[in-house]
Amino acid sequence: MRWHASFPLALVLGAVATAAEPQFNRDVLPVLAAKCLACHGFDAHAREAGLRLDTAEGATALLESGRRAVVPGDVAASELVRRIASTDADEVMPPPDSGKELSAAERDVLRGWIAAGGRYERHWAFVPPVAVEPPEAGPGGRPASHPIDRFIAARLAEGELTPSPEAPPEILLRRVHLDLTGLPPSIADLERYLDAHAADPEAAYRDAVERLLASPHYGERLARWWLDQARYADSNGYSIDAPRDMWKWRDWVIDAFNRDLPFDRFTIEQLAGDLLPDAAMPQRVATGFHRNTQINQEGGIDREQFRIESVFDRVATTGVVWLGLSIGCAQCHDHKFDPVSQRDYYRLFAFLNNQDEPTMKVPPAGEDVAALEAERSAALAAVHAHVKSRASELQAWEATLDAGTRGMLPKPAQAALDIEEAKRSAEHRRTLFAAGIGVGDTAFETLERRWRDLDARWTAMPTTLVLEERREPRRTTILVKGDFTRPADEVSPGTPEVLHALATTAPTPTRLDLAHWLVDSANPLTARVLVNRVWQRLFGMGLVETENDFGLMGSPPSHPELLDWLAVEWMRRGWSVKDLHRLLVTSRTYRQSSVGTSAAAAADPSNRLLARQRRLRLEAEIVRDVTLAASGLLVPTIGGPSVFPPIPDGATALGQMRRPWQTSTGPDRYRRGLYTFVFRATPPPALAVFDAPEGFTTCTRRNRSNTPLQALTLLNDTAFVEMAEALAAVIRTDGVVAAFRRCTARHPDDDEVGVLSGLEPIEAARVLLNLDETVTRE
Amino acid sequence: MDDATWLLRERTRRHFFGGCGIGVGAMALGGLLAADRAVAAPPDPLAVRPPHFPPRAKRVIYLFMAGGPSQLDLFDYKPELAKRDGQPIPARFIEGKRFAFMDSSHRVDLLASKRSFARHGESGAWVGDLLPHIGGVADRLCFVKTCATDLFNHAPAKLFMNTGTGQFGRPSMGAWVTYGLGSECADLPGFVVLQSGPRGPRGGAVLWGSGSLPSAYQGVPLRNTGDPILNLSPPAGITPVSQRRVIDAVSRLNRHRLEATGDAEIAARIAGYEMAFRMQSSAPELMDIAGESAETLALYGIREPGEATYARNCLLARRLVERGARFVQLYHTNWDHHGGPTENLETHLPQVCGEIDRASAALVLDLERRGLLDETIVVWGGEFGRTPMGEKRESTGRNHHIDAFTMWFAGGGFRPGLTHGETDEFGFGAVDRPTHVRDIHATLLHQLGLDHERLSVRFQGLDEKLTGVKPARVVTEILA
Repeated sequence: MRWHASFPLALVLGAVATAAEPQFNRDVLPVLAAKCLACHGFDAHAREAGLRLDTAEGATALLESGRRAVVPGDVAASELVRRIASTDADEVMPPPDSGKELSAAERDVLRGWIAAGGRYERHWAFVPPVAVEPPEAGPGGRPASHPIDRFIAARLAEGELTPSPEAPPEILLRRVHLDLTGLPPSIADLERYLDAHAADPEAAYRDAVERLLASPHYGERLARWWLDQARYADSNGYSIDAPRDMWKWRDWVIDAFNRDLPFDRFTIEQLAGDLLPDAAMPQRVATGFHRNTQINQEGGIDREQFRIESVFDRVATTGVVWLGLSIGCAQCHDHKFDPVSQRDYYRLFAFLNNQDEPTMKVPPAGEDVAALEAERSAALAAVHAHVKSRASELQAWEATLDAGTRGMLPKPAQAALDIEEAKRSAEHRRTLFAAGIGVGDTAFETLERRWRDLDARWTAMPTTLVLEERREPRRTTILVKGDFTRPADEVSPGTPEVLHALATTAPTPTRLDLAHWLVDSANPLTARVLVNRVWQRLFGMGLVETENDFGLMGSPPSHPELLDWLAVEWMRRGWSVKDLHRLLVTSRTYRQSSVGTSAAAAADPSNRLLARQRRLRLEAEIVRDVTLAASGLLVPTIGGPSVFPPIPDGATALGQMRRPWQTSTGPDRYRRGLYTFVFRATPPPALAVFDAPEGFTTCTRRNRSNTPLQALTLLNDTAFVEMAEALAAVIRTDGVVAAFRRCTARHPDDDEVGVLSGLEPIEAARVLLNLDETVTRE
Repeated sequence: MDDATWLLRERTRRHFFGGCGIGVGAMALGGLLAADRAVAAPPDPLAVRPPHFPPRAKRVIYLFMAGGPSQLDLFDYKPELAKRDGQPIPARFIEGKRFAFMDSSHRVDLLASKRSFARHGESGAWVGDLLPHIGGVADRLCFVKTCATDLFNHAPAKLFMNTGTGQFGRPSMGAWVTYGLGSECADLPGFVVLQSGPRGPRGGAVLWGSGSLPSAYQGVPLRNTGDPILNLSPPAGITPVSQRRVIDAVSRLNRHRLEATGDAEIAARIAGYEMAFRMQSSAPELMDIAGESAETLALYGIREPGEATYARNCLLARRLVERGARFVQLYHTNWDHHGGPTENLETHLPQVCGEIDRASAALVLDLERRGLLDETIVVWGGEFGRTPMGEKRESTGRNHHIDAFTMWFAGGGFRPGLTHGETDEFGFGAVDRPTHVRDIHATLLHQLGLDHERLSVRFQGLDEKLTGVKPARVVTEILA
């Protein structure tokens, strides 16, 4: 049911795979990785019998037994072939107690590969992508002009399949609206599009795409995708789970997508914005990416332990998000499958181990924090100076006080009086002064007012969490088994040896060098990984199905040339994320119907070859957005502090601390889902039930579960009931057809109208908000 | 589920456009239901799945004592502690060890237990005087005195006990079990969480989360006030008749779309609405314990049936497993007796013991007499135990301790009347048969017919398992 239940692609696509001879990367490596390399792989400590099968040298080496696992071209002499075929429980590989077993097809792959010469290839993802010319369209297919369609059509043609026809215009418009902005088309949008489509379908679609890419809601849609990967939430996590302010960083992400900040620059600013020579406030805000880690505020903890936990998370997240590698596995030992040693791991760790983690004030545009702070300090100093200038009068006044008059003074003034005169601070004196002879002192009152205004401005200024490089670097060592109490050899910052070289001008490479290295055009991974993840968003499944693992255990790409072409093309076009989306959504492959043909269904049940689009249940936040928009309640304001829409009573009481939830009553009640405040320990139920991540760890693919609790939410949750009431009002004025179109974009047929017309408006509205189609991108 | 999608779509299509030879417009929508049932292998994530091998037990009730109960005042009788009260523990025990509160209240002086201990039943198991009822059923319990975990702060340790790792984002035990076996309950969730005590457990929803598994496997909290399940009741002003009409219409229109698209996810959604509707009556019925006999209520110590107590939750747990729930987890706070003003071993430990003692024993007895204990595993324990050394605070207390603590198991093929493992003279560490949390996980899964090595899911390049990457063994010695 899910991607993890995958088989080697060549086996899945047996009907269309053409080459009879097993290819190492495509066919053999997946079998070795899944079944052999845990004990015969890169990790020397875990290696059994001195045999490693991840390299040709290892596989063909003379073993203690006097035999060789692989004798190229000689099946009979190859110990591996004998052992995998053995029926003796003591001999057969993998051993029965490993819980692993080779299928007959997998044994055939290994045997066939050895027979054909047992050649090794470098793991495809570690070889830089090279763009090949898109193939000509396959036989029988309409000549495809879009490069993506040419790659897809060629592969379909091999399987004697054809793409599906284009989706009906209103379905396609809704699809591209939801994918690019997360909001459904209004009826006006639909009418305009259908008119334009009747005149010139191509121009109509092109214009719609341009309009959506230019919409400020595009940035919101892409931001949520990135927030998942950045493990964003609005609280500190662990047991205390106190609220935090991170929305300035979230707004930076929205803005970055809206102004189409190239992805290389987007990367550099988030990982090392503070180290840029021209670092301004936005670049420093951007470093919040790696402050989205949890903070443990539980009593009795060792702070260093949890600081290191957060660095572990930063290394793992960087590895998964940019490199598509489970580098985190090498925290405790050399990676079992991928050529990442524990030393490599701690060299990456060293880049991310050298920061302080301050909370930074973020001034509104035009406000200069330093100037305001200076002004505020000066204003306070002026107040203090004025008080000092009348010190003797203040003393005289104090001498007149008796117990009765003292008792009438404000509490802080009384507290100041309790302190011995000589030991009072300037603030104590100011407090006293204000309560006493300051009353009626207009000079004092003017100075005091000025200070209060400045202080209020200072206090009201929002904050965000950022990274800040330490002047004195921390020493980084390998930690034995990832245990921070067991430091071993010291290491310096560096990148994994298996990948391209790190460029630096500094004596010790910096976090900025790491950021540049990630988006270096020589990096074989970043562009492929991100292109694949965008593809996954638009098609429901990546070209590489294991979107978070491009390592040896990952699945090979279904369309390797297309993946490489996209990666190279994206870098060539300057890493523009909008451009990449434009490229993908204008393809016929994207535009085709999600209801395919029976021939394709039989030949390619999981639709890896893309003879159709896919129906995808909407993400949690978009379920909210679509229903808000359809009911007319949506308040489309962009950015700002996270908000508190209605949630069920007691929903934030399931953790240690019962967190207050002051339900927003104004416009904030109807904001888009991505602005809903998320406490990690007690996430909003309506989001959690639709698989929204809680921000504990990077999420590169959401589950799309389908449960009765989702039904209860859409039926009965206060927020959805409120939307249903609003939609009922629409039905009363505009009728059920209009309401149906607001939810699904299409015209209902007679049956559908019949069912809905037989209901009270509130019932019909509730039905519409509960339709599978309403919460699905078709 | 793409396979099923296509199969379903094809069959549906053939049924309507091929085999029947008539257009859908002419066909009553009501006929579709039968067609669905006939052809769709519904992609129900909670459908019952066969275990890896014949199971010994079918379900679990996990009594989670949140905060870390003091085994030294409840089960692990150590006369030596009394003799050396106030003396420092020999250095060899604590050299290189880390503890919580190292920089504040942590101390190395041994603390005698104020409790008295006695042997119970034919098995002669040691149980302290604060748990007389649990002592009374000792012959039915399997005590493990040498449980060990890796993490000594509450939230990480709770996470570790539930998910096998201190890292967030991993599936919990209940999620794994429902993922592996599905649920036998058609109108209630398969994995249910109940809470009692002054507040929720530290860590919150992540403790019963589904991590990388679909949210269908998340624990569903049964709430003590208002709707027992979130959003269970129709909104105010909506009559049951209207609610039914809405659900029927949703199903009709969804079937219509199912037939147009052949997407089996729609069939799953239709089934989801039916279950949601059934839950609207089955959940209140579950919560209504007024029909239980006075004798049963007395057995559990329930005085006021409407009161949200641990005792009522124990009874609800029995009612849940009777109805086919797979995994029921009860959290009871607060066992964190450090010696602060509200966490005194001398006053607050007796209080919390009083809250759980009778009902925990009653649950075992009640399951037994109803013939359910044999196939139900009852687990009792916290996220860690407490140190033999006292803390320097306002009252009497002990620090968090991870090297050895006591848990007990009942039913489900665990060997009754057994005390497994032995700790040193101070109860600091195991001298015989250490039993790591990973071993406990492997053993629980084993009893349910699941091989902990095979119950895995690919996530971020790893075959994720409850027992993680380090070795874990099924503790066959504690099995009958």
